[in-house]
Amino acid sequence: MYRNLVTFSILILTVFFLASLPLSIVVSGGSLHINWAVAFEHISMFFKGVLSGKTFTYVEGEDRIQSFFADIPSHFVTSFLYLLIASLIAISFSLVLSIWVSLTQKEWIKDIIGLLSVIPDFIMIIFLQIFVVYIYEEYGIALSRVATRSSTEPAILLPLMVMVLIPLIYLIRSLSERSFDIMTEDYILSAKSKGIKKLHIIIHHVIRNILPFLKADLHKVLAIMMSNLFIVEYLFNINGLSAFIFNSYSYQFNLTVNTLFSLTIVYMLLYFCLIIFIKFLERVFAND
Amino acid sequence: MTNWRLWVGLSLTAILIIIAIIGPAIAPYDEDYVMEVEYFYNGEDDYGIISNPAPPSAKHPFGTDKWGYDILTLLLHGAKYTIFISLLVAFMRVVVGGGLGILMGNLKNSKNNNLGFGFGLLGSIPQFLILYFVLFGITINSSLSVFELTFLQTVLMVLIGVPGVFSATKSKTIELKKNLFITASRALGAGPWWVTTKQIIPHLRGSLLSLFIKEIILTLTLMGQLGIFKLFLGGTILRLHGPAVYLSKTNEWTGLIGQWRSFIYSYEWILMYPLAAFVITIFSFYLLSRGIEIYQRDQLKRYPHI
Repeated sequence: MYRNLVTFSILILTVFFLASLPLSIVVSGGSLHINWAVAFEHISMFFKGVLSGKTFTYVEGEDRIQSFFADIPSHFVTSFLYLLIASLIAISFSLVLSIWVSLTQKEWIKDIIGLLSVIPDFIMIIFLQIFVVYIYEEYGIALSRVATRSSTEPAILLPLMVMVLIPLIYLIRSLSERSFDIMTEDYILSAKSKGIKKLHIIIHHVIRNILPFLKADLHKVLAIMMSNLFIVEYLFNINGLSAFIFNSYSYQFNLTVNTLFSLTIVYMLLYFCLIIFIKFLERVFAND
Repeated sequence: MTNWRLWVGLSLTAILIIIAIIGPAIAPYDEDYVMEVEYFYNGEDDYGIISNPAPPSAKHPFGTDKWGYDILTLLLHGAKYTIFISLLVAFMRVVVGGGLGILMGNLKNSKNNNLGFGFGLLGSIPQFLILYFVLFGITINSSLSVFELTFLQTVLMVLIGVPGVFSATKSKTIELKKNLFITASRALGAGPWWVTTKQIIPHLRGSLLSLFIKEIILTLTLMGQLGIFKLFLGGTILRLHGPAVYLSKTNEWTGLIGQWRSFIYSYEWILMYPLAAFVITIFSFYLLSRGIEIYQRDQLKRYPHI
């Protein structure tokens, strides 16, 4: 409990620190200046404005003042849904695919998975967009939307593909090693010698023993997904939370702090949803 | 079977390094050359205007961009930044992070690595986001010189990557220390210095090498992600008359991708060539790392004696 309190206060400090960096580190007259006084001023303004509600407003465009709480829910839900759907698909596929990969002896499959794991997310996105545009120009078939144009026409297929693929590749790489180790264990041999079918062994003994590793890897998976979320939302023009950070007209301290806190809440919500999902998987595969 | 991945990876990397060194010398035009709009007349039915952006042709093998810059020339001039900065950043990360990792792995006995939920959350702040906040105020229309800004960005990219290398090396060192030969060496009176230089470092050399190659790829990714958000290596020029235009000062490859990102619908060659150059770079380092991995695995393989 005490340790959690410490880490959460470190987290809050980190958010304020990050948001004040663009204000404190500036270049003028050909040299670098670091001025923390401006940052402290903004932080005290932030706390003073909490009661009056000024902290929770932001400037849209040049001079329109918007309420943060009025606009946040739709952005929050958008980001959260993309993350949740993508992570659920990625985790489910990873269980099957990691076992398949660990069973194959072919070097070229490892080559392709390794290559996919080093291809940066933005390259993958640009290639997918170019591919869809190319197919449309050559054959007149619009496979999917290349980017979100308006709130009624969101891009869904391509962003989800990327957001599934990136954590999926990571999970396959880490879990296939684990499942290889598990399949060399004695209890698998013992089950085999009893004449239990291969599929039964995989479902009841291999997957079951992968799940703890999946749980241990969850923070890493979420870290990859959060990093991916910014790039995906930016390149597909999705109106998620990161739009508040990157699309604002000029840098706004309060808005950035609020957005970073919202992203923290998204992370926590997602983490607990996935823990529940893994609990559910445990019920399915480890029900004794 | 020969290790073709290693050889292809090595030769591609060598070619990239050669291009980075001699690029400006073999570039067909000067870096600030701009193609003028031209008329051509080859006959009754074959005449017209060549305007910018011009598609790839004999004069401009990779075409020109919107303002008439020769894309091949820009790529050749920018190569040195992409290749050498990523090599330098990866090298410094491995030296600093690896050095500290070996040191701390030697000093302390392994403590529990379970840091709990809060630290998991802290660790998932994306690297590029932290650098975005630091560089936001100083990269765009900066009054720092290209060298100063590149130096600053290099240092920042090293610092942001050190913790990862540090914890990987530290856990490897702790694993290694459990080996019997280290215990034997200790029992024979070897001090920590002897164990580190004669046993731990020689054993870690292989994994540090593959860590180095992986860090090159990670650095390239980081540079590219910052480039997507218009924070280019060496500085961004922002022109505000009319629609905002972001230009890379150094023509570094990820910067070119960032500045030409919108050319996916038309004039595709503008984006395709820097994209291809960047992907080939990643691919060659990837082949190299796979080659090294397979090479090391074969070295450790046990062979029958008869």
